[in-house]
Amino acid sequence: MFSFFTGNFLQDIVTNFRTSRLKPTNKRLHNCNLLNTILSIQSLSKRYGKIQAVNDLSFEVLQGQVFGLLGPNGSGKTTTLSIILDLVKSNKGSFSWFDSPPSKESRKRIGSVIESPNFFPYLTAYRNLQVVADIRDQDYDDIERVLKLTGLYERRNSKFKTYSFGMKQRLAIASALLGNPEVLILDEPTNGLDPQGIAQVRELIIKVAGLGMTIILASHLLDEVQKICTHVSVLNKGKKLFSGEVSKVLAISDSFELSSTDPDMLQKAISTHPLFQSFSETGLLLQVYFKGEVQPNEINSFLYQQGVVLTHLTERKRSLEQHFLELLEEKI
Amino acid sequence: MIKLLKIELKKILPYKIFWILFGLYFFFLCCGILLAEFMINNMVDDMNRHMPIPFPHVTIYYFPDVWQNLAFFASIRFVLIFPAIIIMILITNEFTFKTIRQNIINGMSKAEFMTSKLQIIFIMALLITIVLAIGSFIIGVSHSGFTDMAIFSKGIPFILGFFVSILAFLIYAFFLAFMLRNTGLSIAIFTLYSLIIEPIISGFLRSPFIFKNKIYNYLPINTAISVTEYPAIPILKKVMGFELQRGVTFTACLIPILYSAIMIGIVYWAMSKKDL
Repeated sequence: MFSFFTGNFLQDIVTNFRTSRLKPTNKRLHNCNLLNTILSIQSLSKRYGKIQAVNDLSFEVLQGQVFGLLGPNGSGKTTTLSIILDLVKSNKGSFSWFDSPPSKESRKRIGSVIESPNFFPYLTAYRNLQVVADIRDQDYDDIERVLKLTGLYERRNSKFKTYSFGMKQRLAIASALLGNPEVLILDEPTNGLDPQGIAQVRELIIKVAGLGMTIILASHLLDEVQKICTHVSVLNKGKKLFSGEVSKVLAISDSFELSSTDPDMLQKAISTHPLFQSFSETGLLLQVYFKGEVQPNEINSFLYQQGVVLTHLTERKRSLEQHFLELLEEKI
Repeated sequence: MIKLLKIELKKILPYKIFWILFGLYFFFLCCGILLAEFMINNMVDDMNRHMPIPFPHVTIYYFPDVWQNLAFFASIRFVLIFPAIIIMILITNEFTFKTIRQNIINGMSKAEFMTSKLQIIFIMALLITIVLAIGSFIIGVSHSGFTDMAIFSKGIPFILGFFVSILAFLIYAFFLAFMLRNTGLSIAIFTLYSLIIEPIISGFLRSPFIFKNKIYNYLPINTAISVTEYPAIPILKKVMGFELQRGVTFTACLIPILYSAIMIGIVYWAMSKKDL
């Protein structure tokens, strides 16, 4: 459908990062272990008429985190990001950037992609980025790098209106990366991209995060947050449901499919496992659920000690979407 | 301040529609100014057909009257609407393209954003005024020659008066564009109000049976364009019965400036309250 991200885009990203990114960011990497507070939000609320878009929301983002705001459409993610970028006024609550009250100077240290890419259609990509650089008090030296990084350098002198959707999205990312901001805010960065584009944007985010940039990512895709983020807040109807490390909040209790030459013996033996929860029989296979995290090799050796030899052992992950829906339902 | 202007020029200079509209404006302005004498004399000829003693032909391009006449023709509402439309397009574009959001996100304050637009208005008004001044001088010299420095003494107040007129007119456009945030709507309402609604209201207020004072002169558009209220054409005085304007009064300038200041204040206040 959309044809963006030319073939060697990814290689470009990798090589460009290696060559040009490492020098200026070294200092920031060393500071990483200090874990400064980047963003702190205290009981933020925003109401649009009858709709409570954001409801008493609080969280903190520390330096170096890849922070995910996860929630279904209309859960208040974009409103929250709009508030912290001074586009929208909150009804209640407060927020601070870099431990100081929000100002235009703090916004200059943040690169953002919010909703659709917003540029002047009649200006070229290069000129659009010049406007951004001027606002941020930067010189134009970095424009070439971010254009190459996002694979738009060849089209730098084309007008923005001639770009495909994917290219527009990439220009938005380029403008967010301009001048190596300390924080990157991305609102549904893979929305509307084709699978290849999605993979490359995610790759880019992980790469940028690896260099010490703090990232705040809003997404309705659980899978995306799980792949990219280190920390997450799960939102629904403007309220925070969960917050914490991705591995803990989104921990998935797995099930295992087992079979043995002696099914009765297997059932008895597995029931004695300390974390055993329940099982169900489907044909020759035994579906076993555990209360906590259990490794396959652990099960194998446990059953072997009980005198059961397995003929089949498969780890079954529950679908992420299913898990997400369960998370939402539990709290309602 | 220079930085804001630099950003603004970067946005405007490559914009084709801006140049087309600006070109059209200058074309109509020049046509109007150069054809004004011809058209007035046509009118005079028409009238003379029924007159026992014919009126003499008018001359509007001679020093020192040329300053006042050209300032008058350049501040007719049909002419001033062009730069006002350009300003409204430039401002509402930012809302249409959502580039105002992007500017704020990138580290511009709302006040800076509005200031950058006011700067462009100021510069545009200044530029048009300078062109008018130079044009008046050239036309004046070509018709009556350069005599002495006295020719400027009557000209400067009218040129400054024109600057106030156009500046106020453009600030009204700025006000409407920021309040409505929509290109079509703001152009339609501005045009409708300044060309139709206000003339109707002012016609009603002008009726001598209702109001004795010149209250109609205090309507925002009227007050802006009537800094130079009448051309210096004696025959029109006789035919239409108005007094000859001797100069630009301080109060005539003060009222549009006051209107502008209030509107700028409202825009700054509203922008600080409203979401983008």
